[in-house]
Amino acid sequence: MSDKVMNQNREKTNQVDAYRRRFMSVVTGAAAAAAIAPGVFLREVQAADVTAKPADQPVSNKVRWGMLIDTKRLQDGGAAMVEACKKEHGWGNDPKARPDQQPQWIRTVKVTDKLTKNSFTLPVMCQHCETAPCVDVCPTGASMKRADGIVQVNKHICIGCRYCMMACPYKARSFVHESLTDQRPHSPRGMGTVESCNMCVHRIDNGQIPACAEAAPQAVIFGDLNDPQSRISQAMKELGGEQIRSDLGLNTGVRYLNI
Amino acid sequence: MFSKLKSVLLLPLLALVVYLAGCDAGPPVTQLATAKEKAEQCVEPVEDIRRNHMVYLNQHRDATVIEGIRTKKHSLNECINCHVAPTKADGEALHYPDKEHFCASCHTYAGVKIDCFQCHADRPQVLDNPDYQHKLSANSYHELSAAVSAPDMADMLLVTTGAQGAEK
Repeated sequence: MSDKVMNQNREKTNQVDAYRRRFMSVVTGAAAAAAIAPGVFLREVQAADVTAKPADQPVSNKVRWGMLIDTKRLQDGGAAMVEACKKEHGWGNDPKARPDQQPQWIRTVKVTDKLTKNSFTLPVMCQHCETAPCVDVCPTGASMKRADGIVQVNKHICIGCRYCMMACPYKARSFVHESLTDQRPHSPRGMGTVESCNMCVHRIDNGQIPACAEAAPQAVIFGDLNDPQSRISQAMKELGGEQIRSDLGLNTGVRYLNI
Repeated sequence: MFSKLKSVLLLPLLALVVYLAGCDAGPPVTQLATAKEKAEQCVEPVEDIRRNHMVYLNQHRDATVIEGIRTKKHSLNECINCHVAPTKADGEALHYPDKEHFCASCHTYAGVKIDCFQCHADRPQVLDNPDYQHKLSANSYHELSAAVSAPDMADMLLVTTGAQGAEK
């Protein structure tokens, strides 16, 4: 009996969510139509990109989270995004690690054309590939892709073999070499496990956008790649969205403009 | 010679008998650190949670990491928020290796070794989240019905004095 009631309630909330999504898609669609594409980035409300799912519901493969980063609009080359990530997840100051051992969930990479000396900087983190090499090689299944396309490490079963670090073409993964204390409660990190950008799963599950996207709203769009009406899909349809190392055919979830 | 051997054999036997006689006294009383007494009861009955908390935590961690289910009922973070104070009596940070830590206070007695806190935060993060404690009572927080217990005097005081009072 109570199950029936719960199911009805769930259906109701689903209907409400569907209504909200339709409403927001109409609103954002209208906004995209009114402004020319570059205006897509400038906005005040960010909450519309992620619809909060009920906490007791599993993530669904109907959505695929992705991020579009316009390097021209990043005045600092993404340094603010890196800082926001450090603050959110508490990495970057492991007391005993050498500088080259420090974990790096996201870093800025400067690219210079040898011939023309034209250069630009872009932030590089886990690209959340559809066919992720790190997931392929993991011997325990710790390196995993969630139903909604987020690639992350299940540290409960990670044995610290670092095969995924070898496999990742983006150098996105790091290894924790030392015992840590006072980790961020929502972002457990510990010795002997591999870690990387997880697109702030704890925030997405709460209906928030990732910390780095929040730190650079003028240059980053976060949203659902599967929804043709979402702001990110609209922007990519209009402006394109390049993958780095697109030759590998990994269908990354993180895309770039002006690289 | 023979009597000497007998006494050598007898002495440890006697010691063993005395030692085993001590077992009748039952286990010594554990010095379990108190929860912050915000809640009338835990998320499960005390007998159940003492025996099965590891089962609940294991199930919840897989649901959270793999499926993204983030209910608060069996979340380790919420256990910590309710049961562990951020600092010791002398103001120093309270960590799992300290015997005052709620989890450690029983695990050391039971001889249990866990590795949860190699990765997970072992105390509430007060600076980032001053409202880490339950404001009213644990009932709403733990998805129990409000009928289980009415907010008591201490809870009412918390409401009137606000978050600053809650940390004391």
